[in-house]
Amino acid sequence: MSEPFEIIEHTADIGFRASGATPAELFENAAQAMMSIAADIDAIQPARDIRISVEAGDYPDLLVNWLSEILYLFDSGRLAPAGFHVAEITPVHLRAVVRGEPREGGQHPWKLIIKAVTYHEIEVAERNGRWECKVYLDI
Amino acid sequence: MSLAERIERIDGYRWRIPRDERLGMRTDVRVYATKAIIDQIAKDHSLEQAANVATLPGIVGSSLAMPDIHQGYGFPIGGVCATDLSHGVVSPGGVGFDINCGVRLVRANLTRDDVRPRLRELVNQVFRDVPCGTGGSGFVKINLKDLEQILIEGAGWMVRHGYGEPRDAEHAEAGGALADADPDKVSDRAKERGRPQIGTLGSGNHFLEIQYVEKIHDMPAAQAFGLSENQIVVLIHSGSRGLGHQVCTDSLKEMGAAMKKYDLQVPDRQLACVPVQSREGQAYLGAMRAAANFAWANRQGITHFLRQAFKRIFGDGTHLDLIYDVCHNIAKHERYVIGGKKRDVLVHRKGATRAFPPGHPEVTADYRHVGQPVFIPGSMGTASWVLAGQPGSMEETFGTTCHGAGRLMSRTAAKKGKDVNSVLKDLEDEGIIVRSETKKGILEEVPEAYKDVDEVIEVVHNAGLAKKVARLRPMGVIKG
Repeated sequence: MSEPFEIIEHTADIGFRASGATPAELFENAAQAMMSIAADIDAIQPARDIRISVEAGDYPDLLVNWLSEILYLFDSGRLAPAGFHVAEITPVHLRAVVRGEPREGGQHPWKLIIKAVTYHEIEVAERNGRWECKVYLDI
Repeated sequence: MSLAERIERIDGYRWRIPRDERLGMRTDVRVYATKAIIDQIAKDHSLEQAANVATLPGIVGSSLAMPDIHQGYGFPIGGVCATDLSHGVVSPGGVGFDINCGVRLVRANLTRDDVRPRLRELVNQVFRDVPCGTGGSGFVKINLKDLEQILIEGAGWMVRHGYGEPRDAEHAEAGGALADADPDKVSDRAKERGRPQIGTLGSGNHFLEIQYVEKIHDMPAAQAFGLSENQIVVLIHSGSRGLGHQVCTDSLKEMGAAMKKYDLQVPDRQLACVPVQSREGQAYLGAMRAAANFAWANRQGITHFLRQAFKRIFGDGTHLDLIYDVCHNIAKHERYVIGGKKRDVLVHRKGATRAFPPGHPEVTADYRHVGQPVFIPGSMGTASWVLAGQPGSMEETFGTTCHGAGRLMSRTAAKKGKDVNSVLKDLEDEGIIVRSETKKGILEEVPEAYKDVDEVIEVVHNAGLAKKVARLRPMGVIKG
């Protein structure tokens, strides 16, 4: 897989596969994939940083919690996230900076409203030295 | 051999996967379908998902699949699962992320001929007045205290604050509010997401459709519901928006750890569950009921703005009366007679609609003699149905019937080779005007992406779960 992510099919919803050289890069690319589905990510200016940390039981759990955190930032209007830097990551913990624009007053509308990140057939694995994941979103 | 190859036919509309077909199944899977529908179902993983549901601890009766079943997350969409209230489990995946996603039908004192000449104007007005919420907020401004009250009172709060008419709340399942909602169990994040979104449709398969009654199939029930041929009705399909989605996300996060504590294992993480009577189970149910109440308030808000839009076009003499409001993603405490004994169960309806029969005390008084109204939206541009609950539902399906046509194609497959302008033109040639926030939304919901709703209805009608009352045809569609 050379592209950082690709969209996959599901009867009722939508999913994506993402990859990266390291877990940090994988998580950054997964966030990029989800936000590309949700909004016109190229129109979002990197005007503000929000620091977040996420805890979980394992990598798949951590990925769901990380993407759910980004979804919350967007849907609550706190931030339209467009840039992601994972500073520290273990299977149970992640610290990151999310960059984007505040979303008060209806800027950066949803391209497709994502309800939630699911655990359905979730995968996070290292294959041939590259980190890959598969995630389905409820829309 | 796949489960689809092992399924046994019981009769023309009932099928069975016996419990010994797969390790861990505690009960059979029962599917309501024709042979043609079974062949369609076999193309995705919905039967495997229904078999996975049959492994849940404390399941009572069969794991049920309605004829609109399709692949979901953990549970299939169109799935029904009752668990024992004292020793069974509750699974948030059995309700879904869109808690109390549901449908309401409103009747207007207008006919098809009244609306046709001004249809475009009406569709544009409704599109302006009923926001989809893609920008993040609607027109109902409430503070946090109001929101917490809404989580308890549901549609009733909206009516008390000028967003409805006194008869609205009583013409909804559970009177538009479930008791024992616990706003304290709804996270601040869920409240933050939901507060600006009340009165918004959302996107995906959510929509508002202006329709006319094409044909009455059961006159006494149609009369009780106030329906006559060529009358204008409006179908509203929406749920609990970001608030409900966050409640489900929060609970799944908590349940991963709780399952270890209770030594529970499930074949799919999205089926996470805990004992109904556990602290975590009760916390989820308190939050879920609050989110369900939010959804009823949301649909009530939409109804208010819909009434305004109709009055702007057709004048102050226009009346829009709520016929009924049903939810199709919910878990409810109900009582059934099973094997001659009364059993208290938690009925999970995941893309399935309650369909109580005539005489049931929970059916609104003015419909009790004909059965509870059930509304089944078809795909965009086809037909929708009004049904009435029948006694078979109490005997076989925990008072439940189907909820829609059921998707056949993924959104990408639906769009393939289609051009939005030709889809819109084809619909306009049939007298249907569509307004959508996005062109993509129109292509993803093309009629071919769904099963034939008439065939789905034929199954539940002939199986005695709900009977046909009226077939509705669309005129105007508003989509997210």
